[in-house]
Amino acid sequence: MVSAEFKKHFTILAILTIALALVPFILGFNQYYILLAATSLIFAVFVVAWNIIGGYAGQLDLAPIAYVGIGGIVAAQLLKYYGITPWIGMFIGAGASMLLAAAIGYPTFRFGIKEVWYALLTASLVVILNNIAHLPQFLGSLDHYLPAKTGWYYLIFTDYQNLYYVILAVLIATIVINLKISNSKTGYYLRAIREDELAAEALGIDVRKYKLKALMTYAGIMGFTGYLYIVLQGTYSYHTFDSPTSLTIAIMGIIGGLGSVAGAFTSAIFLKTVEEYLRSTIGATIPGLYLLIYGILLIVVGIFKPEGIAALFNWAKKKIGFDRRGG
Amino acid sequence: MSDAILQVRNVVKRFGGIIAVNNISFDVREGEILGLIGPNGAGKTTLFNCITGIYTPEEGKVYFMGEDITGLPPHKIALKGIARTWQKTRPFKKMTVLEAVTVGVLLRTSNVDKAMREAEEILKFIGFPEEKINALGKDITLMDHKMVDLARAIATKPKLLLLDEVAAGLRPHEMDRLAGILRKINSEKRITMIVVEHVMRFVMGLSERIVVMHEGQKIAEGRPEEIANNPKVIEAYLGTKPV
Repeated sequence: MVSAEFKKHFTILAILTIALALVPFILGFNQYYILLAATSLIFAVFVVAWNIIGGYAGQLDLAPIAYVGIGGIVAAQLLKYYGITPWIGMFIGAGASMLLAAAIGYPTFRFGIKEVWYALLTASLVVILNNIAHLPQFLGSLDHYLPAKTGWYYLIFTDYQNLYYVILAVLIATIVINLKISNSKTGYYLRAIREDELAAEALGIDVRKYKLKALMTYAGIMGFTGYLYIVLQGTYSYHTFDSPTSLTIAIMGIIGGLGSVAGAFTSAIFLKTVEEYLRSTIGATIPGLYLLIYGILLIVVGIFKPEGIAALFNWAKKKIGFDRRGG
Repeated sequence: MSDAILQVRNVVKRFGGIIAVNNISFDVREGEILGLIGPNGAGKTTLFNCITGIYTPEEGKVYFMGEDITGLPPHKIALKGIARTWQKTRPFKKMTVLEAVTVGVLLRTSNVDKAMREAEEILKFIGFPEEKINALGKDITLMDHKMVDLARAIATKPKLLLLDEVAAGLRPHEMDRLAGILRKINSEKRITMIVVEHVMRFVMGLSERIVVMHEGQKIAEGRPEEIANNPKVIEAYLGTKPV
C-alpha cells in the first residue's frame, strides 16, 4: 500500500528532478555556469546528508568534509594507482568514511560527548586529518591530479553536464534516503534523541546505537560523493580537508532548518549560488564576503526563525491548508 | 513472595559523602498502586533512578518479575517493561503530541503507520484533548505535558509505571482529573504503579499502600490511614512535637 504522504513526496521529487535536469539546457550548456550549478548541487547532497546527523539526530557535527575527503581521496587513489574505476572506488570510499565514523562515533557516544563538546571534537577532526594528510607518507604538500583521461569509466568528462547529471542522481538518492529515514522508526527515534536524550532512553531507545547509525549513514553518503567533489575541484591534497568548507556545510544545514529536507536543499542551492556569484563578481575586491553573509544570516535565523528556511515552507503549507478548508 | 512484580533489596546509592538512598527494601505487588512519599531530599527520585537504570546502586539488588535488573541501562529496562514519567516534564518540543506518543509505541513495533494509530488510541484513552494532538510540544500547557508524558510512557506497554511527582504544579481540579486517569490506566491496562508524590491528598486517595522515606531510609510502610497516624512519619514531616 502506498501512503498519501509518499505519493505527495514522490510527485514533488519528480517535479524537482525534471526541473533540475533542465538546468543545463536553460544555461545553454555554458560550461562555467554548469560547473557552478554542479557545485551547488553537490553541496545540496552534503547538506541533505548532514541533515541526518545534524537535523534529525541533533548532533552538531562539524566534520562533514572529513568524511567527504576520506571517501574521495580513497576512490581517487584507487583509480590513480590501481586503475580501479570510481564506480567501485566510490563504494570503497564510502566504506572508508563509515569506518572512520565508527571509530569516531563509538567512543564519542559511549562516553556521552555531546553539544559543544561534540562540535569541538568533530571540528578538530578536520584539522587533525588535514595535518595527517600533509605528512610525506600520505599526500605530502603537493597537489594530486586525477588521471588525464576521460569517459564514464573514470567519471571524468570534457563537458561538465555529464558530471552534473551524475551528481543530480546522487542528490535524488540522498533525498530519498532522507525521506525514508524521516518516516521510519529510526527517524522518530533520532528526533526523540535530539529533543531529549534521557527521556528517549527511558522510552527504550538505545541512544548510542541510533546515533552511531545516523553518523555512519551520513558519513557513508559523504564518502560516496567525495570522489565527485574531487573531480569538480580538479585536484586533491591535504587542502581537501578544509575547515571553512566543513563549517559551511553545517551552517547551510542550520540556516535551512534542522530536520527539514526541503529546507536543507533550498538553503544549500541558494547560499552556494550566491557564494559563487559573489566570488565571481566582487571576489577580487572583497574576498570572503560570503562568509560575512553567512554570519549575518545565522544571526537572523537565530533571532527570528530558529526553524530556518523550513519555517517558510511550513507557513506556505499552512496557508494552502487553510485556503482548502475555507474554500 | 510470588505476587511481587518489583523487589527492591538493600539498595544503597551514595553521592560523595552523602548517602542518598540508604539500605532500602520493599516490594511492589502486581496490580497495585504504591505511594512513595517523603519530605524533600528523602531520596525518592534517586531511588527511582536506581530502579530505571539511570544510576547503578552501589549496593543491593533490584528484581523485576524475578529477574535481576540491577545496573542494566535505561533502554533495556524500558524494554523489560518498566516505564516512567519525570518530575520536571521532558517534552519533545519540536515534535507533535502524536509523534511523541508514537515514539513510545515504536518500542514494540517497527510499523510507523500502525504505531501512529495506536498512539492516537492511547491519547483518546487518557482523554487528551483531540484538537491538540497535532500541536507541537512547545505549544501546550503543563497539564497537557503531564498527559503526554504519561501517554508516552504507557505507549511502551509497561507492566510497571513509575510516576515521579506527576501532580506537582497542577491545580486541585486538574489533580482530581489526573488521579482518575491513573486509576483508569491501573484497572483497564493492568499496569502496576509506583507514585512518588508530595501532595498528600493526591497520594493518600490514590494508593493502596504507602512507603515513607526520610533521609534515604524507609521509616514506614502500610495502608494510607496507618501512615497518616504514624508518629515517625508525622515527625519526619513536621518535626518533633514540642513537649
